[in-house]
Amino acid sequence: MILVLFIVAPLVLGVAGWVLGRRQAGYSRWCALAGNLFNLCLAAFLWLGASGVLSLPFLAVPGAGSPWMAEVHWPWVPSLGISFSLGLDGLSLTLLGLTALLGIMAVLSSWTGITARVAFFHFNISLVLAGINGVFLATDLFLFVFFWELMLIPMYFLIDLWGHENRHKAAVKFFLFTQVGGLLMLVAIIALAVLHEMATGTWTFALQDLMGTVVSPVIGMLLMLGFFAAFAVKLPAFPLHTWLPDAHTEAPTAGSVILAGLLLKTGGYGLIRFAVPLFPAASRAFAPVAIALAAAGIVYGGIMAFSQKDMKRVVAYTSVSHLGFVLLGIYAFTPLALSGAVLQMVSHGISTGALFVLVGALQDRIHTRDLERMGGLWAQVPRMGAAALVLCMALVGLPGLVNFVSEFLVLVGTWTVSPVATVIAGFGLVIATVYALRLFQAAFHGTPREKWTLPDLSPRETGTLFLAIVLLVLLGLYPAFILGMVGHTVSGVLAQLAAGGAA
Amino acid sequence: MNAQDFVGILPLVILAAASLLVLFAAAFTRKLLASFVISLAGLAAAIVCAGIAAAQAPFTVAGILSFDRFVLFGIVLILGGTFFAAISSWAALRGRSEEGGDYFFLFLLSALGACILAASSAFASFFLGLELMSVSLYALIGWRRESGIGTEAAIKYLVIAGASSAFLLFGMALFYAETGTMDLARLATAAPGQSVLAPVGLGMILVGIGFKLAVVPFHLWTPDIYDGAPAPVTGFIATVSKGAMVVVLARAFAPALVGTGGVNGLVRESAGAVSAAFPWVFAMIAGLSMFAGNILALRESNVKRVLAYSSIAHLGYILVAFLAGGTEALRAIAFYLVAYFATTLGAFAAIAELSTPEADAGSIEEYRGLAARRPWLTAALTAMLLSLAGLPLTAGFVGKFLILRAGAGAELWILAVILAVNGTISIFYYLKIVSAMFRGFAEHGSGSASEGAPAGGGRTVASAALRAPFLAAAALAALTLAVVALGVFPSPLLSFIGSLTTSGF
Amino acid sequence: MPPQPRAALAGRELEMLTWTWCIPALPLAGFLVLAVFGGRFPRGATAAVGAGSVGLSFAAAAAASVLFILAPPAGGFSSYVLWQWINAGGFSPSLSFTIDALSVVMILVVTGVGFLIHLYSTRFMADEEGYSRFFAYMNLFVGSMLILVMASNLLLLYLGWEGVGLCSFLLIGFWYKDPENGRSARKAFIVTRIGDVSLAIGLFILATTLGTLDVKEIAQKATASWQVGSSLAVAVAALLLGGAVGKSAQLPLQTWLPDAMAGPSPVSALIHAATMVTAGVYLIARTNALFSLAPAVQMAVGIIGAAGVLVAGLSALTQRNIKRVLAYSTMSQLGYMFLALGIGAWSGAIFHLVTHAFFKSLLFLGAGVVILAVNHEHDIYAMGGIARKSPFTFWMFLIAAFTLASIPPTTAGFSSKDLILTLAWQSGGAGRVFCALGLAGVFITSVYIFRLVFIVFAGSPRAPASASAHGHAAGRDGTQAGAVMGIPLAILAVLCLAGGFLALPRDLGGSPYILRFLQTALPAGAIPEAPARTEWILQLISEAASLLGIPVAWLVYRRGRSSVPAPAAGVAHYLQNGWGFDWLYDRLFVRSFVWLARINTRDVVDRIFDGVGGLFMLLSRAFRWTQNGRVRWYAAGLAAGAVLIVAAVVLL
Repeated sequence: MILVLFIVAPLVLGVAGWVLGRRQAGYSRWCALAGNLFNLCLAAFLWLGASGVLSLPFLAVPGAGSPWMAEVHWPWVPSLGISFSLGLDGLSLTLLGLTALLGIMAVLSSWTGITARVAFFHFNISLVLAGINGVFLATDLFLFVFFWELMLIPMYFLIDLWGHENRHKAAVKFFLFTQVGGLLMLVAIIALAVLHEMATGTWTFALQDLMGTVVSPVIGMLLMLGFFAAFAVKLPAFPLHTWLPDAHTEAPTAGSVILAGLLLKTGGYGLIRFAVPLFPAASRAFAPVAIALAAAGIVYGGIMAFSQKDMKRVVAYTSVSHLGFVLLGIYAFTPLALSGAVLQMVSHGISTGALFVLVGALQDRIHTRDLERMGGLWAQVPRMGAAALVLCMALVGLPGLVNFVSEFLVLVGTWTVSPVATVIAGFGLVIATVYALRLFQAAFHGTPREKWTLPDLSPRETGTLFLAIVLLVLLGLYPAFILGMVGHTVSGVLAQLAAGGAA
Repeated sequence: MNAQDFVGILPLVILAAASLLVLFAAAFTRKLLASFVISLAGLAAAIVCAGIAAAQAPFTVAGILSFDRFVLFGIVLILGGTFFAAISSWAALRGRSEEGGDYFFLFLLSALGACILAASSAFASFFLGLELMSVSLYALIGWRRESGIGTEAAIKYLVIAGASSAFLLFGMALFYAETGTMDLARLATAAPGQSVLAPVGLGMILVGIGFKLAVVPFHLWTPDIYDGAPAPVTGFIATVSKGAMVVVLARAFAPALVGTGGVNGLVRESAGAVSAAFPWVFAMIAGLSMFAGNILALRESNVKRVLAYSSIAHLGYILVAFLAGGTEALRAIAFYLVAYFATTLGAFAAIAELSTPEADAGSIEEYRGLAARRPWLTAALTAMLLSLAGLPLTAGFVGKFLILRAGAGAELWILAVILAVNGTISIFYYLKIVSAMFRGFAEHGSGSASEGAPAGGGRTVASAALRAPFLAAAALAALTLAVVALGVFPSPLLSFIGSLTTSGF
Repeated sequence: MPPQPRAALAGRELEMLTWTWCIPALPLAGFLVLAVFGGRFPRGATAAVGAGSVGLSFAAAAAASVLFILAPPAGGFSSYVLWQWINAGGFSPSLSFTIDALSVVMILVVTGVGFLIHLYSTRFMADEEGYSRFFAYMNLFVGSMLILVMASNLLLLYLGWEGVGLCSFLLIGFWYKDPENGRSARKAFIVTRIGDVSLAIGLFILATTLGTLDVKEIAQKATASWQVGSSLAVAVAALLLGGAVGKSAQLPLQTWLPDAMAGPSPVSALIHAATMVTAGVYLIARTNALFSLAPAVQMAVGIIGAAGVLVAGLSALTQRNIKRVLAYSTMSQLGYMFLALGIGAWSGAIFHLVTHAFFKSLLFLGAGVVILAVNHEHDIYAMGGIARKSPFTFWMFLIAAFTLASIPPTTAGFSSKDLILTLAWQSGGAGRVFCALGLAGVFITSVYIFRLVFIVFAGSPRAPASASAHGHAAGRDGTQAGAVMGIPLAILAVLCLAGGFLALPRDLGGSPYILRFLQTALPAGAIPEAPARTEWILQLISEAASLLGIPVAWLVYRRGRSSVPAPAAGVAHYLQNGWGFDWLYDRLFVRSFVWLARINTRDVVDRIFDGVGGLFMLLSRAFRWTQNGRVRWYAAGLAAGAVLIVAAVVLL
């Protein structure tokens, strides 16, 4: 029951903000902010419960019986075996918290930047966040697809209406790429349900029921690919990544934050929650390919990031590289790697989200993203430079920041599976150093190429970035905070995998 | 013809009566309002009666009309569609100088034809309904006598429809000559004949059907007619005339296709069909229609033509379910028809809303920056387009889902994937329109010269100034709500449809 | 039982050394304070925080070492866990520190020398903008290095390891406005990073095969489960070596060090003496167990060291930039340490590390004064006659030079270097070759350092040194190092003179205190005790070599510009460019990578998807051709369709 709030709160406050905002734009900001704050508190509250600090009666201890801490089952379309089912486990809770956090960052980052149709803008923000929360909670595959597609429309509007120069093309591209994957996944889901119906005679789209479905290896592989298509596009996995640089670059700051911080994570989440557990055997068979793609993506994304002039494009391609670690970690099928992958989702969300906030702030000031026009900015905006430095070190994967822990775990976990991929990915770390240092130095070091006179970070911006940086450090020194929370999910997935692999 | 039968065909009778009334009324008063009110009343009454008649379904009348709950459902759909088309016609015609009584007369007549067609169980009624529907459409399409493309469209429709009817008639003759039956239901189940006459006849009948459905390769006429006809009429053609044909098709051919499953299954000897080729033929038609429709629309910049192309694709989608056969498929078809009706009518109602009595708002240029000027209308049209694109929160999403489910149930994997791919292609041109409408929406002084203002010039500005009559606005709102409601809570309608088709056939 | 007296309890806690976490924590705290509030601090406050934090840290380190020596904990080390760092899939490294002889020595050097350098910097950097930024970086540098040397597991060590790399980047590029400095900074970070990745991969293997990264456990498990020369052991050791050569600027990853001169002189002092480059030596000493399991790799260590001694030494001979000379000198001295490690003289290597820290920091700090005195001129050929202008600096520098060339009366360099050479000889086999090369190195060393001394300090001023321009940084009279800068020099000089007494050769009546101390943490090694005769013969040879170097340097470089004959000029040029490694790497890696990036700026993959889109648009164009609006055409289409269907129906 409480889970529904995660979806309802942003929706209600989003609508409220829209209505109020028509009169006074400021209200919509506060409403969007309130929605996220509420969700953050809710997540924190549940977190305390889950970690046993509070004893919440409605939180079950996830065990062999049900992997969920809390569940919601409402009939929706009974005749089709579709139900409004939500389930919460450590993984969902972590990502819900991340969503709320980045939601706050997104709203704050566009506090002054967005001046036209403010109310509608924040309505879209709230809507997309609601959709994302739904994705992280849905345990009914139809419901999942429903939310999955629901994320697209508001995000499309965010890019198409408030984006930069080439926003229209980028928005459509984003939509089309995601849609191909989404529809293929829909076909796969329906096919799975049909096969399940043929086997058992009952229509259902519930994850737990469908997990048992026995399918022939070939069909299993095809269906798994259907799922993989959707998630690989979202992740994005090389070579399906090309929508991302455009979308990230053209989107408004808040859009980029949500895209990079959250939408990409839905891909990784989908793989962990659906693709692998539903098709263990097929996933095992497919793992080598996925690992190869991941390694390729890590290196390719890194090289591309180095080659870009547009600051946002650089950051976008670094996402391609870093999400490669997520893919690698997932398909290594070892507890270490999988934990690392989950942690990487969090760390990348925070660091890259913050990086986009920063780039956005910079663009608001100098009205360009062209690195070749920047340089020597440190003298002007040292606080911004310091933040950029830390965030670039997060890109590098510097120990002490959580990004290091996640990447290290992924690589350790992958070593036993594929030393080659590990070494290639390790080489990716060197490339990361190259592009991160270039990004930082091109903007903040050297001599100014143009006469900017810029204000340094405003208190609001400073606060936003400081929050992110503090989190990166704290989690970097005590990642157990998250690893402990997702541990059960990780072991569950791997158990399912082992069981299915045997079958 | 006993009392029971009379109750059964009461909807048709009322419709006929209403049309005559309209004619009389037109003779007495030059006010458009009168004929409009009469038509609405007639349609409403007919709908009610259809509901009543459902109580005693299934029953047959005079051996050439057979009603079961599914058919009555189809009839209600047709009448409902006509109802909404009539309302947006009223909005569109209001400004016109000459009286439009005969307009509504033709409208009702065409609807009557559609109903007969849907209920037909024999060649005779089939042809009767078809012609009744088409002939009145000729006039409706060319209603704007002063508009060149209108008249041209009417003539084109006349010629092509005539040709297709000829095929149809000849096909029927051949079929009868071979099998000695005029029973529509046996069209597909008739024992395979010795000679090729029956199959050939059947093939020719398909030509006639395919023309009405505007599926490949009989789709060529669609864009011109859609473009030329007044928006409400276009909506009528896109929904009612096709819907009626889908209903009869489902009844006539479904038996032949039940059990055909999978691409491999397609070649399976389908239950006593005249020719094993039909599954193949339909599969080809479905696939080609999906691709042709969507690909054609990619570069189209006229909204009405875009919708024409998309309707080609949508009929392709429906054919996928049709091929799957069986009760599930029938339910999918039924739901999809509802969704398609609501969405298409809504879209054309919105277009009519933007149009002037003289000409419709066609070019996408006229939709630029609409959001800033007519936010609510934009919202409605956006909802319709997203529904056509099959995105969640809309009826279109559920509809596509059901069709995919039916297709997968029959293991029509290839067609399912084709559908998925086409779903994506279609996104492109729907979004193109949406994007155009929202162009410049979030810029300061939106509607700025840069991209906000329509290149179309003052005409749309005028139409923007022209306030929507309450009734049309209400209708559009209702349709929008319906589309969204069906997308979020499909359950009631689904269970209702389930109750219709429990018998299956 | 009676309640234990509080004092005793406290005393035990002190002896447990579980409070030593504050040693790295203090500089890090200083870093945080300066990073957050530094902008608003007056310079005095900044200096106080910056130098003070390190000073306190040194005090703590001193206290810890005293306690450690007075009451050595059981097993010769005391470890304690701050908190569990990671726990996933049975992999659970924790944030834990270890205090043993090795780390005690290291923290003393790092904090001690570090503190002196900080003290010096408070004055040296007085005129620079970004004063607080400088000290923030310096504190972070020291803090990271302390974590590195105190970490009890390799993951935490890696944290410090990378932190050091970052700080080198920040400080080398401290004067960020000049793109050249940025390039050098980038180079330092990236080149060492390559080594770091190799080290990281080594950690992966250790973590996956031994299931732990704790140094002590690794030593036990590895010796237990791997036999000598086993492939795993070799692989791990080789990968760790990769990391070590990166940080310690040994072949083949040495190229970053000469460029690292872009930073301010105190930075160079810190990098070369107290932190950074010594990390590699420390790592190998720390993981000596693994290297003992991989004799081949250990031999490689020795070879790299010996080669480094000569390669770097010869390059040092030809440099014109005063700091580049010292940089190459560092590389060659580190070569000696690697050489020692290569023959298993772990303690000897660390001892040389200590003495090297003394004289190298003194050299750099002295060079810093000189550079200030000649108006930020780095070219030695533009200097000269400094001795007369600032005698104090001259003497300080001279002491350091003697120590480097291991000439009495200075003892530090002398005892440590000769120890290494003797042990090399004693270890026999390749060791003798190493010893010979080492002796050659001694000669070269003394030549290049006295070349520097003569050119810079002797003769007459060549460049118009407007001393007064920045006199206030270099002291009132513009030549004397100011007191704040002078005191650290003096202290370091004393250490150079006396440092050798930590382990004076036996034949000079010394006794190896520090070696014995270190051997509570490091294995003594199987090298037989050298007979007195060998010992003093070697000492004579090396002394002769280094003394010979002085006149040679005088003859050749007396008149400043070296009067080398034409054919040698090419060689000199070659040596000056560090044997062309930069040239080679630039061609091999840098350019190819940049090229690879440039050609694909517009993501070829995207072009493919564009192609797909274009294809559909093309199809659309083609299809639309059928929509030509002609009725007869439409009718024809209808007929054609009919024919097709009929045909299908009939034929199928």
